[in-house]
Amino acid sequence: MKKVININFQGRVIPIEESAYEELKNYTDSLRRYFAREEGRDEIINDIENRIAELFTERLKKNTEGCITDNDLNEIIASIGRPEDFDGEGEESATTGIKTGATAGSSQSSGTAEPRGSLYRSDNDKVLGGVCSGLASYLRIDPTIVRILFALITFGGFGSGVLLYIILWIVLPSKSLELQVRRRLYRNPDEKVIGGVCSGIASYFNIGVWIPRLIFTLPFFISILGNIFGNRWGVFHDGPDVIFGSFGGTLFVTYIILWMVVPFATTASEKLEMRGEKVDLESIKNTIQEELQGVKGRSEKWGEEFKERATQWGDEVKEGAKSFSAGAAPVARTAGNSFGHAIGVLFKAFFLFIAGVIVFAMFIALMAIIFSGIGIFPLKNFVLEGFWQNTMAWGTLILFLGVPIVASVIWLIRRISGVKSKNNYLGYIFGTLWIFGWVSVITLAGLISRQFKRTGNIKEEISITQPSNNKLLVDLGETYGRYYDMAWFDDDGGNDLPALSADEDSMLLNTVRIRIVKSKDSLYHTSLVKLSRGNTPLQAEQTASQINFPIKQNDSILYLPKGFGISKESKFRNQQVLVVIEVPVGKAIRIDHSIDWYAWFNINSSRRGLNIDIDDDYFNYNDYSWRNDIWYVMTDKGLERLDKKDRDSNDKDASGESNDWNKDENKSGGEYRYRKDGDTIDIKIDRKDTSVDIKLRTELLPKEGEDENKSDAIIAKKVKSSSYGKSLISVLDLLKVGS
Amino acid sequence: MNIENTQSQMRKGVLEFCILSIIKRAEAYPSDIIEEMKKANLHILEGTLYPLLTRLKNADFLTYRWVESTTGPPRKYFSLTDKGALFYKELESTWNELANAVQQITQNGHSITAEPLQNFNQ
Repeated sequence: MKKVININFQGRVIPIEESAYEELKNYTDSLRRYFAREEGRDEIINDIENRIAELFTERLKKNTEGCITDNDLNEIIASIGRPEDFDGEGEESATTGIKTGATAGSSQSSGTAEPRGSLYRSDNDKVLGGVCSGLASYLRIDPTIVRILFALITFGGFGSGVLLYIILWIVLPSKSLELQVRRRLYRNPDEKVIGGVCSGIASYFNIGVWIPRLIFTLPFFISILGNIFGNRWGVFHDGPDVIFGSFGGTLFVTYIILWMVVPFATTASEKLEMRGEKVDLESIKNTIQEELQGVKGRSEKWGEEFKERATQWGDEVKEGAKSFSAGAAPVARTAGNSFGHAIGVLFKAFFLFIAGVIVFAMFIALMAIIFSGIGIFPLKNFVLEGFWQNTMAWGTLILFLGVPIVASVIWLIRRISGVKSKNNYLGYIFGTLWIFGWVSVITLAGLISRQFKRTGNIKEEISITQPSNNKLLVDLGETYGRYYDMAWFDDDGGNDLPALSADEDSMLLNTVRIRIVKSKDSLYHTSLVKLSRGNTPLQAEQTASQINFPIKQNDSILYLPKGFGISKESKFRNQQVLVVIEVPVGKAIRIDHSIDWYAWFNINSSRRGLNIDIDDDYFNYNDYSWRNDIWYVMTDKGLERLDKKDRDSNDKDASGESNDWNKDENKSGGEYRYRKDGDTIDIKIDRKDTSVDIKLRTELLPKEGEDENKSDAIIAKKVKSSSYGKSLISVLDLLKVGS
Repeated sequence: MNIENTQSQMRKGVLEFCILSIIKRAEAYPSDIIEEMKKANLHILEGTLYPLLTRLKNADFLTYRWVESTTGPPRKYFSLTDKGALFYKELESTWNELANAVQQITQNGHSITAEPLQNFNQ
């Protein structure tokens, strides 16, 4: 019993016995070699292959066995003839037959005995100038390997490969060369994921296609795993450094080079070549050793040849100039084509790179969501209420987030292992499940947003004793209750999320804000506004009333708790606490920097869904006209710094701007110094030669518009009073222009 | 001196002439040409014919068109170009001269004048 395989031959699927296929391969190879120097080689071989395909189909119709057997093939080959049968015929007729004007094939076929010792540029197999192909033919190795080496030298050797190539291109004569390698490296169009590079390599080395694929993708997987577990165990990572990581990067570049350099196996014979004879290290080594032994003798010959060539070259240049215009066009075309190819590949690679990065980023983001989702999951009891919300939450987690991950993992595995699914059931199932996931997400969002629809608040007056020294310090007190650090949120040591800690039973919130207002009477007052959200205002108020925010006082120090806890029963409904401190006029207050600890965010439920507005920047908020660790005193106009001297260094946009310049005069020496805030103007007037020396030092250069004019006016006024007014004004004008 | 070699050398000289002659009569598919030549007892391998046709085509003596086939891949049908017809004419006269000369020499002066190609015109 013989193994029957299906091959794609000239666009036809042919069932053929494996041994017959081997024979066919050898036959086409032999034809290829035979016609190697023929001008229309590809066409001839294509014609013959076409004929073979036709005979195959004829035979398959009659044949009872349903496949091409050894016998069939032998008969077909006999009718077409083996190269040894028509040896000489072709060439004879080429030279003798077409006497009149048909010089096309003859000149090439006349050089029968290939002088293998010489190095040429290949005329018939080239990407740019045929240098690589010529070298390969000289060394009897696959041109592709030489091309790859050149590409690597170019990429790695700062372009020295290009220089070498150009030199060889100029120096070497062009010649039509026969390929002497049985198996060539092609990109495989039948089994490609991106460029068919991996499957081509696999056929070249006769290994499973998954091996090169795995090698190329391994760094990506390692990195993905690294990212996941890096996150999981809190190991700090620099993000996905897959592509530019040394290992992954090299492979990435290698892939691009291969993609650019290796040709696609388009015709059947190329595909056969792709799977041709076994190429192993041993045979390559042998070839090279053989070569090296011959190098000595050849090098001398080379020297002579080179001299000869150099003299020829001079003549050629003259002639070349004439024929240049004729020759340039096709050369330019081929060069253009290959450049086009290279650019196309680069463009494709760039596109795929971008797409890959996007996909990768999405994957990582998905992972992050999943893990943070799991991280948040213990908190679900604080948010979710009732059966449906819980169900939808699970639906979201498993269907909405889990399905794409499982699907993409399956897709990746299939892609790498080369399994092609015959039906799309899996796709439909995943699609449906994902739609359910979407439904869950939307329902869940709707259900939850209902709970945040209305606001409710409760105002509480806190009685405090008046501080003895008319100064009140607001500080953070001891931790309220016990709390556990939440590793999932603690990404960089900061608290970006409001939930400080949580265990199964309670969650600590720090959504607290302080507002300082003017007291109506002469006493400090403190009140709490507890806010919450709920389905109805009543519900919201009820939730708000459950907030426990005890304030302690130690004479002039007011201790606020670090946060407030909410229990599983009271649920998380965006509870907030607003601490309103009323300061009487003329009395001072200071907020400790530890108040920074508090965060603030609003969850609004609108028609568009939930809006979360996280605002933990105190200073952008209008309510906060004060800064930490600074004593303020309440005036009729509002808060003012107690210590105004601080302002120069600390507070740049102080409201009470003084227009007065501090003036130091030394009239006898003609020296004036004006100071205002950080600006200093030194004016030195020399009475003898009426020269004026002005130095302007400023820490805060006036902005365009008002300030500038204002300060100018002041200076001008001062200047006019002096006897050197005119010159000073003109100098000041100059100064103004200069600045 | 190998007899077979000499025979094949002799055959080869007229191959192109014969092929062109067949194509001249009607558009032809390579296996038709083979068949026809086989009938005339002039055996030629397809492996020889295809390169020959390609060369003639590249020399602008032949042209071809693709014809869909029910049995297999599309077929190339060859026909003679004007240049090819001229070329054929030249070959024909050369052949006639040659045949005459050969006849004269081998048949002791009895020259043949008519139908030198009767073998191929069946």
